Amino acid sequence: MNHVPTRRSYLKLSAAVAASVLALSGCAAGGGTPAAEETGPVTIRFTWWGGDGRQKATQKVIDAFQAENPNITVVGEYSDWNGYWDKLATQVAANDAPDIIQMDEKYVREYGDRGALLDLKKLNGLDTSGIDPDTLKSGEVDGQLVGLVTGVATFCIAANPAVLEKAGVALPDDTKWTWDDYQKLGEQVSDSGSGATGVGVQYGDQDLYIWARQHGDRLYDDEGKVVIKPETLTSFWKHTLELSTSGAGPKPSAIIENASASLNQTSIAKNEMGLAGVFSTQLTAYSGAAGQELKLLRLPGESTADERGAYYKPSMFWSVSSRTKHQKAAEKFLNYLTNSQTAGDIMLTERGIPANTRIREAISSKLNATDKAAIAFTDAIADEVRPAPPITPAGGSTITDILSRYTSDILFERTTPEKAAQPFIDELSSSLRK
Amino acid sequence: MRKRHESKQIQGAGLRLFPTRTTCPGACRVSALSELGKLRGKGLGAEARDTKAAMVFLGPWLVGLVAITLGPMLISLYLSFTDYNLLQAPELVGFENFTRMLEDSRLQNSLAVTFIYVLVGVPLQLAVALLIAIVLDKGIRGLPFYRSVFYLPSLLGGSVAVAILWKQIFGTTGLVNQFLALIGIEGPGWISDPSTALSTIILLHIWTFGSPMIIFLAGLRQIPIMYYEAAQVDGATKVSQFFQITLPLLSPIIFFNLVLQIVGAFQSFTQAFIVSGGTGGPSDSTMFFTLYLYQKGFGQFDMGYASAMAWVLLLIIGAFTAINFYASKFWVFYDD
Repeated sequence: MNHVPTRRSYLKLSAAVAASVLALSGCAAGGGTPAAEETGPVTIRFTWWGGDGRQKATQKVIDAFQAENPNITVVGEYSDWNGYWDKLATQVAANDAPDIIQMDEKYVREYGDRGALLDLKKLNGLDTSGIDPDTLKSGEVDGQLVGLVTGVATFCIAANPAVLEKAGVALPDDTKWTWDDYQKLGEQVSDSGSGATGVGVQYGDQDLYIWARQHGDRLYDDEGKVVIKPETLTSFWKHTLELSTSGAGPKPSAIIENASASLNQTSIAKNEMGLAGVFSTQLTAYSGAAGQELKLLRLPGESTADERGAYYKPSMFWSVSSRTKHQKAAEKFLNYLTNSQTAGDIMLTERGIPANTRIREAISSKLNATDKAAIAFTDAIADEVRPAPPITPAGGSTITDILSRYTSDILFERTTPEKAAQPFIDELSSSLRK
Repeated sequence: MRKRHESKQIQGAGLRLFPTRTTCPGACRVSALSELGKLRGKGLGAEARDTKAAMVFLGPWLVGLVAITLGPMLISLYLSFTDYNLLQAPELVGFENFTRMLEDSRLQNSLAVTFIYVLVGVPLQLAVALLIAIVLDKGIRGLPFYRSVFYLPSLLGGSVAVAILWKQIFGTTGLVNQFLALIGIEGPGWISDPSTALSTIILLHIWTFGSPMIIFLAGLRQIPIMYYEAAQVDGATKVSQFFQITLPLLSPIIFFNLVLQIVGAFQSFTQAFIVSGGTGGPSDSTMFFTLYLYQKGFGQFDMGYASAMAWVLLLIIGAFTAINFYASKFWVFYDD
């Protein structure tokens, strides 16, 4: 018998097969790279996030280190900020963590709490004598040193002199200015007819930390509980909204776009904005993109604040995987990154103003004008800064997402600052791990 | 007059295995192969050898299926009943992950977003695909060229590069708004405004109509020309020809495309991920179910919950496919 399959059966079969294959393949996860086998000389893996400039500088440091230590091979793995954390979480879960990990304040507790990071105090040969003890402590979780601070930065306001000049607006006196002044200045620039927008409207976690402290409040207590009062959040968002509606800042959709733009694509870097919040060490990058030297200013509202908001933030940390098989090599490399003059000369302020004061002095002559200005600014506010907020509790890295969602709801008038405050507190609290 | 009722694909291979009327574009490759196997099998009279050969050819796929698909699926099923933070060993928690979903308003929002995307995006995409296929079927010169050009978006649409391009085009100062400004309209921030962001991504989905269009095109060419000729003699208009002949005879192909596109659309991820910068924003307006799953698993270290979500998605897709197959009895017409 010559059986001729019917069109019906073909279609049904192929539709069913296609459906199941598509559905199943969605569940399959991507693979990782297999761990390198150890034969003779040691290979350690080193991972970081950052842009092209950092990648080139870091590779130079690696090359220099390998030249001095022919027995150790350092393999660099790098990506941008977003992909970095997804990848790291997967690698650690797969027991395939890189030996040396560039770590951020928002995640150090997440990993440290779970025993994924080595207590660096166990590395007897690690020289941390060049780092101020208080700064060094910023990498401690429950008495264990799980992050070695690379450098410090401080959040401040960058002014674009060309934009302000074109709008006919003078630089403010940053020792006295208030948030009202910030807004008025913004309105003047926006209304000047120069085409530029006055001021940036930002809603990062640092913006909230600073606002809270200036208003006698704080986000987390020392135990890592969310303690911010709803009134503080309400006032923060009212101020955010006011900046946008008054015309001092951009329209809501432009605010959202600016928040996710890469540094070069932000309005202030494109010379389309007068003032915006930046980290002091980003001055060189912003100035480079803008094609002119930007100027750093103190945060508004500091002189009249309950407590000053400014603080020195550890720009990032070096961490070592607790499962590394090469503690000695990792220690050697950390020492090189932290204490070697060669490494310091190559990296300069790429990872913050070096926390190691000896390196900081040694590189000062090699810095360009904006690097020097960034250090000068950071030093100038040394007597004004207050201690950094307590380390972000585990689970707290979600604050960026939560804050941006609530803020955009408010900017687009889907909710009000009053209504959003308590739900924000509840959601942030429940995302923290006990 | 072009020969409508002859299958070029099969003829090109020098084989005419079964009457043209029963061929269909989606399945002819499968059927041609199985028929080929039968012919050869009979000629040699060695079924055992055939089985062996089949196993050899199946081998790589089978290994892949077990190691890369089935294994992880079983593990994910297990994880869906655990609290697993990626860094410490998973802990069994029973159905807690599933009960948590009932109270998770963001998850419910992500379901709503995904349903809108699928229920609006897929029918529109198929309509556009059918429309273009019909236009191309009118015997345009240089058909292969147009076919390729219209297919191009499908190849690119799911890619990162196009999603980034989309972001530029629909930005507040992007191409679309620059164009609107020329005629005096101030456009919104298409992808940064919660009220338009999802529509922009749906538009991107519709734009990738290429693969259903190719299948429609092939299906249209299978409809015997004599039906149209007979209808013309009887004085039927073009419109009633479309509804009385084209649509019923094309219904199996429509069904095939519908199932495939629905399954695919439920799993869309890249577009929303890139366009929203991984946040599903603004205000969760582009938070697809898959994107929320990803955020839960890799952003919030809640892999148990994410695994449970994956299984819920599988059930939803399964349910939709089952409903589709059941409903097909009432509208799909098989001409055999």
